[in-house]
Amino acid sequence: MANPYSILKTCACLLCFVFLLIGCTSSPVKVTHRVSNVEIKQMQFQPASLTVQKGDTIVWINHDIVAHDVTEQAGKLWTSGPLAPGESWSLVVTKSADYYCSIHVVMKGKLIVQ
Amino acid sequence: MKIIKSVKVFASVAIASAIISVPVFGQENTRLSDAEIASVAVTANQIDIEYAQIAQKKSKNADVLRFAETMAKDHQSVIDQAVALATKLGVTPKDNATTKSFLEGAAKTKAMLNSTNGNAFNKAYIDNEVAYHKAAINEVENVLIPDATNSELKSLLQSALPLFKAHLAHAEMVQKEFNK
Repeated sequence: MANPYSILKTCACLLCFVFLLIGCTSSPVKVTHRVSNVEIKQMQFQPASLTVQKGDTIVWINHDIVAHDVTEQAGKLWTSGPLAPGESWSLVVTKSADYYCSIHVVMKGKLIVQ
Repeated sequence: MKIIKSVKVFASVAIASAIISVPVFGQENTRLSDAEIASVAVTANQIDIEYAQIAQKKSKNADVLRFAETMAKDHQSVIDQAVALATKLGVTPKDNATTKSFLEGAAKTKAMLNSTNGNAFNKAYIDNEVAYHKAAINEVENVLIPDATNSELKSLLQSALPLFKAHLAHAEMVQKEFNK
């Protein structure tokens, strides 16, 4: 037969462990990163200019009837590669950038990181 | 001096108009059927692919080659969708006066493009692309979209219109390089 004192001791230990675990995992300041969509339609990035926070995710979705890409303009620092109709691509933004479609060079967009 | 400059500008416009053969549309008041519209759409896109193929063979200019590659891919994409839609609707594209006009213009333009070389070719190709897209936009906007009766066909044409306008803007951007 189990000793009641021993059971109580085990429960107390378990409770302490759970509290310890909760204390370790929760942080006092919670940073929330948002996800924003840019639709590619009628040969335009919509919205053409988007203001976001550092660490936010941008998702580009191609609704047009032809392939597009999303390419950083100044130094081609990042690119989606070709996006067929219906495909999408996402990027975690760390700094402001002008971008364009390198297939249709008249299509331009802007990301402003606050 | 001003008069000489004006004469020169007029002469170059006249020469350009003479060598670039743009199809003439809208001369008949008859409404195009969906089968005829499908034929015009496929033909007009195919012609621009053929112009692009000539450019890919003859040009060494990076901007011209990039533009030509985009034209070949985009217009093939429009053809694929037009053919898929026609198949789905059970429509067989039907030749008509507009298709014929496109083909006649294309034969003259291809002969002209094939007879020029170097920078003269680059300029002729881009000038033709500007003129051709202007004519195509006018045709799609004022004839094909209003005449289309099937909603899916009308929708495809409406989706193609911004594409052709972006092609025109791209062609005009490249054209500026050759007019400096």
